[in-house]
Order: sequence, then C-alpha cells, then structure tokens
Amino acid sequence: MTIKILISVALGIGVGYFVLPSWVFSYTDIIIDIGLCALLFFVGIDIGKQKDVFVKIKNMGFKILLVPLMIITGSIVGSILGGLIFKMPMNESGAVGAGLGWYSLSPMLLSSYSNELSALAFLSNVVREIMAVISVPIIAKKIGYIESIAPCGATGMDTLLPVVSNSTDPQTTIICFISGFICTIAVPILVPIIIKL
Amino acid sequence: MGLSLLLYLLLLIAGGIIGYHDLASEKLQSKLGKIQTCCLLFLLFIMGIRIGLDENVVSSFFTIGFKAIILGLFSVLFSVLFVKLVKNFIIGKKEGKTSDN
Repeated sequence: MTIKILISVALGIGVGYFVLPSWVFSYTDIIIDIGLCALLFFVGIDIGKQKDVFVKIKNMGFKILLVPLMIITGSIVGSILGGLIFKMPMNESGAVGAGLGWYSLSPMLLSSYSNELSALAFLSNVVREIMAVISVPIIAKKIGYIESIAPCGATGMDTLLPVVSNSTDPQTTIICFISGFICTIAVPILVPIIIKL
Repeated sequence: MGLSLLLYLLLLIAGGIIGYHDLASEKLQSKLGKIQTCCLLFLLFIMGIRIGLDENVVSSFFTIGFKAIILGLFSVLFSVLFVKLVKNFIIGKKEGKTSDN
C-alpha cells in the first residue's frame, strides 16, 4: 500500500509538472472535494459496521479516552517543538502535527492555506505512518502495549490496527481501534482550528 | 472551510448509519476496501498534480523532506511519551491485564 501511495503521488507530481497547463489547478479543488466526500462516506459505512464499538467504549470506561487525548496533545506539542528547529510559526507546525498520520486528509485541509504547508503535512504524516509501522512492534516489546498505540494516531483504526493486534493483546487492540476512531474524528476538526490560531 | 467540514462530517455519519443498519448491499460491502483504496489513490494523484503544478513546492522539495522527517519524528516521540505519562492512571486501577511486556 505504501508503495502504491508513493507511486500515485509521484505520478501526480510528474503529470502536474510536465504535462498539464497551469489553468487546470483551479479545477483540482472541486475534484478533491468530491473525491474526499466519497471516501468519507465509505469510511463511515466501515465504522458503522463495527456495531459493538460504542458498547466497548462504555465497558472500558472514560479513562480510555485519555489515550487518544494524550496522543493528540503529544503529536501537536512534538510537532510544534520540531517546528521550532526550523523557526516555523506554531500554528503551521501544530496543524501538521494535528494530522495524526492521516496523510490523505490533513494536506487537503491545508491546501487552501498554502500548498507548501500542504505538501509538508502530507510528507510529514506519511513519514509518521512509516515510522509507526516500524516502531509499533518495538515499542510494544520494549516500552509497553498502551504506548505502542501512540505512533498510529488516526491510522490506529485501519492501516495500523493489524500491526498493533499482531504485537499486543486483544484488549490493547480494542483500545487502539477506539483511539484511532477518536483521532480520526479529531483531525478534520483540529487542523482547521489550529491553522487559524 | 466550515461548510465543507460540515459536509464531511454529515457524509461520515450518513455512511455510519448505513453501515450500522446493514443498508449497504453485500456486494458493496465486500468491495468497500477496494473502493476506499481507489478513492484514496485517486485523491493522492490529484493532490500530486496540485503539488506538481506549483513550482514553489517542487523547487523546495528537498528542504521539505528533512522538515517532514523531523516533524513526523517529534510527533511520534511526544505522543508515545504523553501516553506513557498517563498509562498507570489508565490501567493501574484496572486489573492490570494489559501486561507491560
């Protein structure tokens, strides 16, 4: 999947750079909006199919919600601190961190703000997912199960869930799904808010 | 932005209701993963086109690459650190079934 993703983006960049005239740019906005709407609709069906997710949240108690809360806070704080190295404005670096690894959505949320930041949000969140794939099994072994959920961010409910389930136990897997679910909801809310700060 | 944000959330909820009540046909459900992948790859392709059309982004790609790695790395490190801080509070009072190892 990661390779397919990189190929899609690289192909797009190549086509945009070498083939298409610049007036096409103004039409890409609406195409992205339509595509994103379709994708979110299908993601919604997927979430709805997991009928017991709300029962599980209730059974495990509200303390579980601290996990995504800390992931979100840690991601934003970390990204802001990383951004300080490059003297980036805090709202920009914070918004990139608030992408929580959802590399397809966060750059689109920022595309109206600036294309350069949008590209940074994309690359940085792709990097995050690759790091998650590599680090989840190591963190689960060396630090702890709950901590191994943290790198996943919003991808904890889809791409990274099999990795977590493979490296930890069923309870942690459920927490990971719930955490990914909440992070997924948080991304389209937090990114536009933080960039406006 | 606010309006499209509302639209995104509404579609997510609409999809959720359809999924929850099994209103989608089995044929559609079995193809859900493929449809999502296609949508995603198409979106990324269009996004690539946007990036490719913007010469500023292309020319600064190498500086962005390093920045992206640092921001991604710091996000991961601090999210792990922050979760570690509250870990004992989350599972300490429970039966502690989730082992450390």
